[in-house]
Amino acid sequence: MILDNDPPVKLKGVGDGFWITLDPSKPEQLLKNQLIKLFERLKHLAVNARVVIDTGGTEGYDDLVQNLGDFLKTRFDVGIVSKPPEKRQVAVERIRQKDLDRGWTRHRSEVLMLRGRIRSGQKIEAKKHILITGDVNPGALIIAGGDVMIMGRLLGHVHAGYPDNPSAVILALDFRPTQVQIGEYAAAGLDDKKTDRVEFASVIDETVLVQDYLGANPFGRLPWPEVV
Amino acid sequence: MEGRIIVVTSGKGGVGKTTATASIGAALALEGNRVAVVDMDIGLRNLDVVLGLENRIVFNIVDVINDRCTVRQAAIRDRRIENLFLIPASQSDNKDVLTPTGVNRIASLLKKEFDYIIMDSPAGIERGFENSVTAADEALVICTPDVSSVRDADRVIGLLYARSITPKLIVNRIMPAMVAKGDMLSHEDVMEVLSIELAGLVPMDDQVVISTNTGVPLVMRNESKAGQAFRRIARRLNGEADLPIEVPGAKTGLWNRFTHKFGLKK
Repeated sequence: MILDNDPPVKLKGVGDGFWITLDPSKPEQLLKNQLIKLFERLKHLAVNARVVIDTGGTEGYDDLVQNLGDFLKTRFDVGIVSKPPEKRQVAVERIRQKDLDRGWTRHRSEVLMLRGRIRSGQKIEAKKHILITGDVNPGALIIAGGDVMIMGRLLGHVHAGYPDNPSAVILALDFRPTQVQIGEYAAAGLDDKKTDRVEFASVIDETVLVQDYLGANPFGRLPWPEVV
Repeated sequence: MEGRIIVVTSGKGGVGKTTATASIGAALALEGNRVAVVDMDIGLRNLDVVLGLENRIVFNIVDVINDRCTVRQAAIRDRRIENLFLIPASQSDNKDVLTPTGVNRIASLLKKEFDYIIMDSPAGIERGFENSVTAADEALVICTPDVSSVRDADRVIGLLYARSITPKLIVNRIMPAMVAKGDMLSHEDVMEVLSIELAGLVPMDDQVVISTNTGVPLVMRNESKAGQAFRRIARRLNGEADLPIEVPGAKTGLWNRFTHKFGLKK
């Protein structure tokens, strides 16, 4: 014989709100009565609170959650009622875990790192990323399958994401190239005035866009370090 | 001791390679060295005209390579400057008559005879350039302060490095007034791109035209600012490596130094 001692509705405080775990198989009226019992005890604390209704991962009770939410809003003046945030997909979670476990210690780098000055007429090609600590002179050509990072002046011609990877970026401390190409998208006649900013080019809406790197901070927004 | 072979090159044409070769060669000879200036521009010879020796040519470098004469027979002695010799190019052949092997053979002969051998390279980076740099110990890259010349000089510098020659730079035809107004690249702008050791800065000078047309070496004309600049470059090559680089147009008078020191002028 199984004793079902678990109450159909449980309430717990999380951060700035409440987390309600309920058994959606129980009749709606029973659940409401339980909620009334719990929320009356909370009194003014329930006003404008954020409430998450968790049905324990079972699907198909959206209407029930909606009804109970509306009920709580009208009866107890709670703020926002939502479902629990979706869990990350298994694959994403695995990558995240790998990165958090410092996956890069086992990662073989495919970056071509060069130091010096790339002069006119010289051509640097790499299957993946290129990092140059030095300058790229006018007339020089850099072709990379991935990103191109220039720790210095970029005055030459760069093709990142060769031949068709529009997600590649081109970054330079002094960004004044004669022409840049990312995947299939090219841009020439860029503003060649010297700025004090670090700039980078990426493809946004099928156009090569040059932005202030620290202003846009494209990689600083990533939640965890990725191996590229 | 064996002589040094210095190639004067630029990539781009018309930037002053021949004038520089003649001037530096003459200046080195005036310093007391035995100098041969060699015209490597086969088919388009000019160095003989600039030095005023065009009517004394009997043999040329192609004759030496083909064993029709000796190096001594081909070398024309300058009558005004002691120890200055010209080995002229052939006007009737083309660049393909010379090969790097042939040039290397002559180079070793010249090294025994002279302290300095200055080779005037043709424009371009093809066969003529290859022949000129094959035996070189050092290289002087000439460029003018304009974008196209800098681009070509940059290419040539890359090719010289690939041959393990460390070139030095001469920025020619600087017009200080235009640089001050921002209409011309300054030598700093040029150095920013090329970033090699500077051998000297040469100002624009009308005397160059007169000198070329009359065949009197520039460095013999004391009133020529370009001539003086080339003499300083020659002294730097000839051992005075720490001779300061003089920037054309920079005011160095006593009054200017005085006002600068007291913060009245920058």
